[in-house]
Order: sequence, then C-alpha cells, then structure tokens
Amino acid sequence: MAEFIQILISGLSAGSIYALAAVGFTLLWQASQTINFAQGEFVMLPAFFVLALTVKLGLPLPLAIILAIFLSVLLLGAVFKKLVVEPMIQHGTLPLVIATIALGLLLKEGVKEFYSPLGQPFPSLFPQDVLSVFGAAVSIPDIANFVIAMGTIIGLQLFLARTRTGRCMQATAQNPDVAQILGVDIKKMVLYTFLINGALAAIASVLITPIYLAKFSNGEVLGLVAFIAAIVGGFNQIRGALVGGLLIGVIDNLSAGYVSAEYRQAVPMLLLIFVILVRPQGLLGTSEGRAV
Amino acid sequence: MLELKDLHGGYGKIQILNGTSFKIPPASITTVIGPNGAGKSTVFKAVFGLLNITSGQILMDGQDVTRRTPKQMIDAGVTYVPQGRNVVPQLSVYHNLELGGITSNNQARVRDRIEQVMDQFPMLRQFKDRKAIELSGGQQKQLEVARTLLLDPKLILIDEPSIGLSPNLVQEVFRTLQALRDQGVTILMVEQNAKSALAMSDYGLVLELGQTRMHDAADKLLADPRVGHLFLGGHIEEEETA
Repeated sequence: MAEFIQILISGLSAGSIYALAAVGFTLLWQASQTINFAQGEFVMLPAFFVLALTVKLGLPLPLAIILAIFLSVLLLGAVFKKLVVEPMIQHGTLPLVIATIALGLLLKEGVKEFYSPLGQPFPSLFPQDVLSVFGAAVSIPDIANFVIAMGTIIGLQLFLARTRTGRCMQATAQNPDVAQILGVDIKKMVLYTFLINGALAAIASVLITPIYLAKFSNGEVLGLVAFIAAIVGGFNQIRGALVGGLLIGVIDNLSAGYVSAEYRQAVPMLLLIFVILVRPQGLLGTSEGRAV
Repeated sequence: MLELKDLHGGYGKIQILNGTSFKIPPASITTVIGPNGAGKSTVFKAVFGLLNITSGQILMDGQDVTRRTPKQMIDAGVTYVPQGRNVVPQLSVYHNLELGGITSNNQARVRDRIEQVMDQFPMLRQFKDRKAIELSGGQQKQLEVARTLLLDPKLILIDEPSIGLSPNLVQEVFRTLQALRDQGVTILMVEQNAKSALAMSDYGLVLELGQTRMHDAADKLLADPRVGHLFLGGHIEEEETA
C-alpha cells in the first residue's frame, strides 16, 4: 500500500506538470486554432534560459527563474505569435502545424548546437527530503511540484471565470464573431492566450527539469505527452487537459512500477488509441464547440 | 438619425452594395426587405464596420461614421444583433449580459443596467446562472436583445430576429422592439417575414441587387402590389414597365 501511495503521488506530481503543457496546448487551439507541435520544446527551452542566467551570468536562481518566465512569455508567446502563427495561419491550419514542427526542430537543434548536447544538471528548487504520508515516503519536490502546478491551473481557471478579461478571452474562444460585435478586442485576447502559454511552458520547465536534467531532447517526450493528454482529456476543455495530464502521469508511473519500466512509454499511446476509439471527443470534451 | 449615401462595398472583389441610399428618422422602426442576395445583411455589416466599403458615406446624426470599427460604432451608440445564435455558449446568462457592456468604463452602471434589463426580461433573471447554451432558441434571442440594451443604444441593427422562433415568440420580440422604439431607440431590422415585420414597423425599405428600390411608410409598402410581386420572384422594374 505504501508503495502504491508513493507511486500515485509521484504520478500525480508528474501528471500535473504534463497538464500545464497540455492546458497551454488546448488554450492555443481554442483561441487561434494553433496546434503547436513545438510545445515540448517550449517546455524544454526555459530551463536553458535559467541555466544561461545562473551559470553564464551568475544571477541567483530565483531571479533567473523570474527572468526566464518573462523571456518565455515574450519569446514563446508574443514573438511566436507574431513571427510564426500570424503569417502561417492565413494559409490554413496544416501549414501552421508544419511550421511549428520546424520551429520545434530549430529550438532543439539550436540548444544542442549553441548550449550543449549533454544533459545539464539543473538546480533543485526544493529540499530533497521525504515526508511520510500514510506510511509512504513521499518526496517534498513531488508534493511541491503538484501544489505549484495545480495552483497555477486553478489560478488560470479562476482568472478565466472570475475576471472580465478572462470572460472576454472565453468569448473570443467560443464565439469570436459575437465577441467582436460586442466590442471585445479579440486580437488582444488571442495575444493574452499566447502569453499565458509561454508562462505555463516556463513554469512546467522549471518544475520538471530538475527531475530529468536539462537536455535539448527533453521536448520530444514532453510534447508528445502534452498532446496525448490534451486529446485524452478533451481538446476543447481546460479541465480535460488537466484530467488527461494527471491520468497519463499516474498511469505512466503505475505502469513503470507494476508492469514494466521498459514499456512505460507505450501506455499513454494505448490510452490514446482507446480513448479515440471509445470517446473521440475526449473524456471531458464536447463533440462540438470551443471553450476555455 | 442614420443616412446612407450611395454606398458601395462587398466581400473581397464581390460587390454587394451598389449605391445603397436611404435615410431613417430617429425613434422609429424601419424594416429592410428584399429577395435573397439583395444585400440586406450586408448593409448592417457596412454600417457596423464589418465590411469593406469602396465608396459612399454613412452618416449618423449628421456625423460621418463611414469605415469606423465595431468598437467605435458601439461607442457611437450602435449595437448589432446578427442573424442566428449569438450567445457565448459556455458562459452564464448573467455573464453574457455583462459582455454587452464590456466596452463601458463605468462597470457599476453596467451592473445596474443588467438588473434593469433582467427586470424587463424576467426569464433572464430566472436563468441568470445557467449556461447560455442551455436556453431555448427564443430565450437566447431574448438574451441577445437584452444584451444590446446594456449601453443604452441609440440605434439597434437587428438581423432576422424571427428565425427559429415560434410565432408567439416572434410577436414577443416585436413587442420588445416597439417598446424600445417608444423609449426613443431607433431600430433598423432585416426580416424575411416581411408581412409581420412591416405590420409592426413605421417604415419599410426594399433592397434589390444592393440598391434601394422603394422606401416608404410601412403600411403603404404593405399595400403595394409590387412588394408582393417582388417576393414571388419578380423584379420591381419589370412590374413598373409592365
């Protein structure tokens, strides 16, 4: 039982970070029909911003993290929208998808070429102690990651539901024509979505990188998992992406613990195939409409 | 109140409005009728800043408002209810209403107005916490009309309000529009249900091929045989030359 709890909490911790990336994935789709196949690299890159700022410039870690989030919001949010999405979306969704795949490759190879092809140790944000939860040894980083990731997603949900700007973003996502005739600045709302995605990617990056080291190829798995989580949960709901991320994190860890560590990466794919066959709109998704 | 002078415009290279001209007085209801493709809805889009206008002029209270943005038109006191369903489906009825006043700098006033329009439309108060998508078609249309009132508009452009509504609900929507007219609001309406719409309007105008063919008091248009002929597939010129 103790082992199960330990694996479960570890899975929820990883899953909540996957959910951050999946929520960003979903937000971009809702607001602008952008399917961002560079999302994994968006999560990989901010960790290297932190490393560059701490190792190369000697800044303290907390300041480096704040600056990395700011840089991510700017580059992975505003600049990505301006230089990639806006020129490509005019030609349809498919050219944009291809452009994001190319961007992902560019970011990955850029980090490999200009920073390092080797995994870099990333400073831990939390003490490495363990707590006893119902007899299970649970690491503080696991609990802290879960709390921060879930807090971020809940905060985002509250922002979207409880603020006027959030509701304007929802209106833009769900019915842009109506939003426009009511005077909502839909271009600004779409921009906000991209900025939020940049911030979500940066937070996911600083939470997950201490677990895996900072490596140029980290985005390969993260991007795939975020995509699968969004599809499994329901591509048109934030809460769907949240559930999808948590589910994949837990199933992945349980598979590694009780089935085979070798085949753990196959399990999310099996889950994806199952959900597409049984409930194509995703576990919490709706078959039509768009909602954030 | 609103005047269109020789307006030309359309979508890309397709020209829909070919010199549309008319003038509507304040505190009146004017119904725009005409066959499919006449440019009825396009006129509304042109007025509200959603259409590429190539030439001509739109005046409101004597002021040139040609090529203004939707936000600027809202600020000028114009609201637009397009045809079809125009709610934000996953937001509550209350928050849909709130969006009607989203451009206002005085949100306290908007909240007061929401209370007032919910008094005017008791159904909305009853269902204010429900998602808009859970309302019936008629209720959604009432929500759209109520939402336009949040900023006390001077001019309401309403496109095909009767689509998808039962006859009783259509009459209810028409009564609401008449009550607004009595309060001083000017209403320009497109309606396929020409007979009922003209019967409750002050003025009517007939559009054909993007041009104003007739513009008169609504009762005179109702009695004019050329109008009936137009809706049976004829053209006004043919009737005139016959």
